Amino acid sequence: MIFSKKEIIIAYTVEKCNLCKKQNKRKFKEGDILFSKCDSCQCGGVFEIDMIYGQAL
Amino acid sequence: MNFTDFNVDEFFGLNDDTSLFMMLIWILPVVIFIFYGQRIQLQITGAEIKKSIKKLDTFKTQSRIQLLDYIQHNCNPKTESTQSIDQMLDYFSIPPVDLDPNGIIPKIKHVIRLREDYTRNNIKSIMPDISDEQLNKIQTLLEITTSLKMIYKIINHLFLTAKKQNNYPLILPLQMMLPFIMEEATASYKAIAAFKADQPIGDSIGPIVVGKMMLNTSKTEIAFQTVMSRVDYDDRRLILLKARGPSSNVGRIADALHEIIKDTKLDAIIMVDAALKYEGEDSADISQGFGAAIGGVGTERFDIEQIATDQGIPIFAVIVKQSVVEAITLMTRDIAQKADQTRDRVYELLQNNTKPGNTVLVIGVGNTIGVPQ
Repeated sequence: MIFSKKEIIIAYTVEKCNLCKKQNKRKFKEGDILFSKCDSCQCGGVFEIDMIYGQAL
Repeated sequence: MNFTDFNVDEFFGLNDDTSLFMMLIWILPVVIFIFYGQRIQLQITGAEIKKSIKKLDTFKTQSRIQLLDYIQHNCNPKTESTQSIDQMLDYFSIPPVDLDPNGIIPKIKHVIRLREDYTRNNIKSIMPDISDEQLNKIQTLLEITTSLKMIYKIINHLFLTAKKQNNYPLILPLQMMLPFIMEEATASYKAIAAFKADQPIGDSIGPIVVGKMMLNTSKTEIAFQTVMSRVDYDDRRLILLKARGPSSNVGRIADALHEIIKDTKLDAIIMVDAALKYEGEDSADISQGFGAAIGGVGTERFDIEQIATDQGIPIFAVIVKQSVVEAITLMTRDIAQKADQTRDRVYELLQNNTKPGNTVLVIGVGNTIGVPQ
């Protein structure tokens, strides 16, 4: 219909530091797997992928 | 009242200025609707249903194209795979006769396993070098494409049958069910993107909860594509069980349970799963109950319930409510944020319903796409 909007879902990845619990939300990229380790945190800990989800734009 | 001076001309308004033409304007449609009303309704309803059928046709075609493209670009098929994949899309399963339902569950299980195993072997014969993860992914995409094709065939068949016989009441059930069918078909089509990208879906909440509990423990493959690990929590011995991720599969939970009980006496079973919510309920609500929370046709649930009944093992269920669309598409934020809360609910259940020294099996039920352990 003319006024119906198609919902656009964007996938996001949330990384969480295993020490200071700081969270970092970014767009999902290929290869992201839950619980995998990513970059280091400023506190000395390591960011791990805590959540992957889709959110409507 | 005097009925003896009834005048036909006066009754039909023929004496006054009303013309014959104006009379036809209102009497003709009434006559047409009396004799041809059902056919007109059939045409109008048919036009609406045709739009939905066209959409289903698009889903069927596009899902096939996406599957073939994925195979060509990612799996390096040994031979020309299009014909083989098209053959597999037309596979059907004949359910066992149910006139005498006693003993039907093992027969259903046999037919389902046969289809799964032979499809897997056929895929491997076309692409001998693919990994297990890719094999599972292709099997899942194949299932989605097959079901979209089947939905299109059935709806088209019902529509054409009603149209062929000009039978309006025959099209009414289809008109009533079509919104639900379209919702599921649309969700299935959207799920293709999530499976191709290895993103967890709503149904993965069970494996996410148990997978997190399994981190940094030693795992063993106890049944086909099903892993287990042992941890201690609050003086209870926990056996954690989930399908082996991060590939797309649901494991064989009942087979794993058969293996576990051979040498372990279980005091309780806790199953964590996604469940369908009612309209009006909030998504991602966590609820607790009793019984085997596992989907599918019922063969796995039958086996789990049989073992639990024979051995007197209480089964508890912790469910995360969601709609059909949310369960098979990319996990929503609300559901993803409930993983830790669900795990805390499991721990609470352990403390309130089991004693120190007990052995408890905690099962993360669901598709484990994108969820390692």
